[in-house]
Amino acid sequence: MTYEVVNSKVVRVQVSQANPVLARRGAMLGYSGQVAFRPVSGAAQGVGGMVGTMLAGESNKMMVAEGQGSVLYGFRGLYVTVIDLTGDSLVVEADRLLAHDAHLQTGVEMVGQGGVRSAVRGAMTGQGLFTTRVSGNGTVSVLSHGGTFPIQLNGETVGVDPQAYVAHTGALQVDLKASVGMRDLIGRGSGEAFQLHVSGHGTVYVQASEEKF
Amino acid sequence: MIDGIETPTWDANSLPADDNVNPYAFSIALAGEWFVSKGAMIAYYGNVEFAGVSQYASRASWVAARFSSPLYASEWVVAAGQGKVIVADRGYDVNSYDLDEGNLTIKQTNLLGFQTSLELKQSIVPGFVTLIGTGTFLASSNGPVIFVEPPFRADPDALLGWADCPSPSQHYDHHWMAQSFMAGIQGMFGRESGEERQYDFTGAGTILMQSSEQLRVDGALLKLVESQTNLLDAQSAGALGQRLVQRSQQQ
Repeated sequence: MTYEVVNSKVVRVQVSQANPVLARRGAMLGYSGQVAFRPVSGAAQGVGGMVGTMLAGESNKMMVAEGQGSVLYGFRGLYVTVIDLTGDSLVVEADRLLAHDAHLQTGVEMVGQGGVRSAVRGAMTGQGLFTTRVSGNGTVSVLSHGGTFPIQLNGETVGVDPQAYVAHTGALQVDLKASVGMRDLIGRGSGEAFQLHVSGHGTVYVQASEEKF
Repeated sequence: MIDGIETPTWDANSLPADDNVNPYAFSIALAGEWFVSKGAMIAYYGNVEFAGVSQYASRASWVAARFSSPLYASEWVVAAGQGKVIVADRGYDVNSYDLDEGNLTIKQTNLLGFQTSLELKQSIVPGFVTLIGTGTFLASSNGPVIFVEPPFRADPDALLGWADCPSPSQHYDHHWMAQSFMAGIQGMFGRESGEERQYDFTGAGTILMQSSEQLRVDGALLKLVESQTNLLDAQSAGALGQRLVQRSQQQ
């Protein structure tokens, strides 16, 4: 196991020559061993081409940890969730990414379809309608307020408060719905009556807080 | 209910004595004096008086010998009397630690209180204080404390403290530096401290880490840095002033 959950807010990652780790810049708490950190920005620089189109168009600054040793990662006291990927992909907002294996592929994609695009902007991220898709075989750790819990879906549909949505894996469709009738009940705190409708087969990770990320 | 933790209703007698009320609050069974960080007290029972350290020192001469840090004198109070004093800090985890003829250096903003049998001194590392002697102290951390052993390099902001090992030295990651050299160094000023600056621990001992780099404003740090600008000659001090003005305008 290369990702060890130290406590609710910290993860210890084993870095090796064969397995460099990408992490949010500023999230390194400490390390032991021969580990070197290098900033990675956008698509211009890559870890031997591994990063590729990493986070193009997204403002998040990442860094790579290379060498041999173990690194403690945590960010601003946010909770950490470790998710293993076996060939499938994880969709998550870029600023929730704490650390992941550098050999995982990352790409940027849009959420929402057609008419809801403009609605998604702001409601979903507060800053844009892009999310990051991480795929391959490896491990990802994501950040949340107050910890996450997984909701397993086998063909059903679940409504999620956009502010509580963290990430999802599997073959899931995410649509933004405005429920006019329940304007005052849903989306508490934001004043908006939006809900994410998630359907298909997979797992949605929901945070135990409506605090905007 | 906090995170499923049982929260019974307490009274003066049922409150824990010198123990945690829950992970985020600690109840001191006061019989005599304790040093308590200003603002850490959230509730108390009994006949307890809170007085500023400097104010208290005018009455009890031993205070000056115990609290040898004029810089932090205004940030601390002496709680004196009989009763129970509950301390907490921003919902951070609060833990008590026992020192036995030992010494421990800890981030000033995370130290919540200590017994008067301990001596407080200012560490050479800015923002940190050292406790020496035998006694109990209370410290807060964002998430549970993580103990690690040297050799270890820590982000200065996530570092909570260290015990029984030599003071850390600065370490600048050479890869990061090389990158900076290539990019052209604009001077250390104005460059956000990223991961390139670390505290390097060697030797034997224990390092305490917390789970985030989130900092509380440390008023005394400003005074400390200001006092160190005495090392600069007049011209350099002027140049520093200009840069600081520039920086404050950028933000």
